[in-house]
Amino acid sequence: MDVKRPEENLVDIRGLVKVYPPATRALDGIDLGIKAGRIFALLGPNGAGKTTLVRVLTTQLRPTAGQASIFGLDVVRKAAEVRALIGYVPQEMSVWTDITGYENLLIYAKIYGLPAAVRKKQVWEALESMGLAGFAKALVKTYSGGMIRRLEVACALLIKPKIMFLDEPTIGLDPAARKAVWEKILTFKKEFGTTVFFNTHYMDEADLYSDEIAIIDRGRLVKLGTAEELKHSIKRDVIRVGLGTGSSAGEKVLARLRALRSVTGAGLADSELTVAVGDAESALPAVIDVLRDEGLPIIRISAEKPTLDDVFLAYAGSSLQSGPDLREVRSVRRQIRQG
Amino acid sequence: MNSLREMLAMMELELRRLRHDRTEIYTRAIQPILWLVVYGTIMSSIRAIPTGGIPYLDFITPGVLLQSTVFVSVFYGLTIVWERDTGILKKLLVAPVPRYSTVIGKTIASGVRAIFQALIIAPVAVLLGVKFIARPLNFLAALVVLFLVSGGFAAISILVASFMKTRERFMGIGQAIIMPLFFGSSALYPIKMMPTLLQRIAVLNPLTYAVDAVRGLMISGDLSHFARDTGAIVLFDAVMFVLASVSFRKIIE
Repeated sequence: MDVKRPEENLVDIRGLVKVYPPATRALDGIDLGIKAGRIFALLGPNGAGKTTLVRVLTTQLRPTAGQASIFGLDVVRKAAEVRALIGYVPQEMSVWTDITGYENLLIYAKIYGLPAAVRKKQVWEALESMGLAGFAKALVKTYSGGMIRRLEVACALLIKPKIMFLDEPTIGLDPAARKAVWEKILTFKKEFGTTVFFNTHYMDEADLYSDEIAIIDRGRLVKLGTAEELKHSIKRDVIRVGLGTGSSAGEKVLARLRALRSVTGAGLADSELTVAVGDAESALPAVIDVLRDEGLPIIRISAEKPTLDDVFLAYAGSSLQSGPDLREVRSVRRQIRQG
Repeated sequence: MNSLREMLAMMELELRRLRHDRTEIYTRAIQPILWLVVYGTIMSSIRAIPTGGIPYLDFITPGVLLQSTVFVSVFYGLTIVWERDTGILKKLLVAPVPRYSTVIGKTIASGVRAIFQALIIAPVAVLLGVKFIARPLNFLAALVVLFLVSGGFAAISILVASFMKTRERFMGIGQAIIMPLFFGSSALYPIKMMPTLLQRIAVLNPLTYAVDAVRGLMISGDLSHFARDTGAIVLFDAVMFVLASVSFRKIIE
């Protein structure tokens, strides 16, 4: 048996399997460790197992095999202790719309047993930190989608959790509302050092806000790393070179570029040269050498790294469907209607 | 301790909801009021049903009160189906409280709603000339019985909601439960008038005991079966709470 160091990873997942009867393997052996104080993004196509993983970690579902622990507490055997430490925002809307925002938090504060002396203060703090203090006494059914989401986050951070699980925190929101939700989450995280675990479809959010990204597909972990590492790993950089008008570039230079070992393709259009390479930094000197040798004037030169979308397609592209599955569409529509 | 505070929070939630919007309580009161105003007054003029000397309208008032509260609690399961479709149930299940306390908290909340319902119908009955026994303690005890019965039926409704995962199917099942229970109890006529088969069913029907207890407390003053009645209701509640708590896990998977 290997030496366990539970302090090292706040969340520790080993060989996690979840089978939905009869034979859907939603999680097919996930191994993953998440360090404290980080923002961790889980990416994957629809049906990849993202929500199932969050629901196992938040003690809602029992895994079929394998184990997961938070702070060294097993999510099955120590479920009650785990629940007292975590904040959770489900994918679907999770507040009562027929009472006010303040009342929503108050009820949760009571369920979580916050002492009466500090209850009101903490409710107001949570509302203020999410920018909702001005709407506290309005019925939630009058809130916009973004405000409802912020209220849900406020609810999750009411107990100042050590870790927050956010299942698609910004689904169905417009860009401004998405930004607002994230800014508030980041401020809270900075203040309390909370670890954040979130699922998302939005690559830009994973790129902008996460410290580490895991891509899962068909219940398996296919790639793990920072956004930079992931982009680097697929080796699909593009170098663009602007040549002076009337330059004599032609098939000959393209052929010479293509012959380079680091180059996978080259093209010329409107005096702009496009060179597809594995890694821009290492390929650049050789490309420039060729152009100098041919006596071509270089006006500007730029290297484009792949976006996270490219990364996602490279690792999980094979199982992408033509569209989101029906259940998801319905649940999003419902939220739009209600929100 | 944890469970108690969740139950109280669920009750508070229901009271706060009612404070913001009471339309549902009013609209739900229409049907029972029709039973009293139309059916009750017409049937009393015929005097065909032996009620032991009690005016017929007075005789059916406890039954109508119970029917309307049971209606409220059976359809309370619908709010649970709704809370499952949204993420509310998931969030409650991730709170550090035992799951059975969520179930019992919900049934208590439905009891609260049921009592408000009764408080709207009772004055209508008084206006129609129903003579309640003028003892506040009796009235309070009757409300407690309503509350307990309603809790048991709310638990049935949670049980049904764990199996019926869509609202439409739930509506159908709800109707199919309530009306037979109402007709198969002593709410509208004494059990002795029923065909033998229905009498046997009525003996197993918790509503029979509830009607008997509430009628004794509010109208007839005959409390000779009161211990048996409350015993039956408490047993019914206990069984339903256990079944609902066990099935509750299913509701989110």
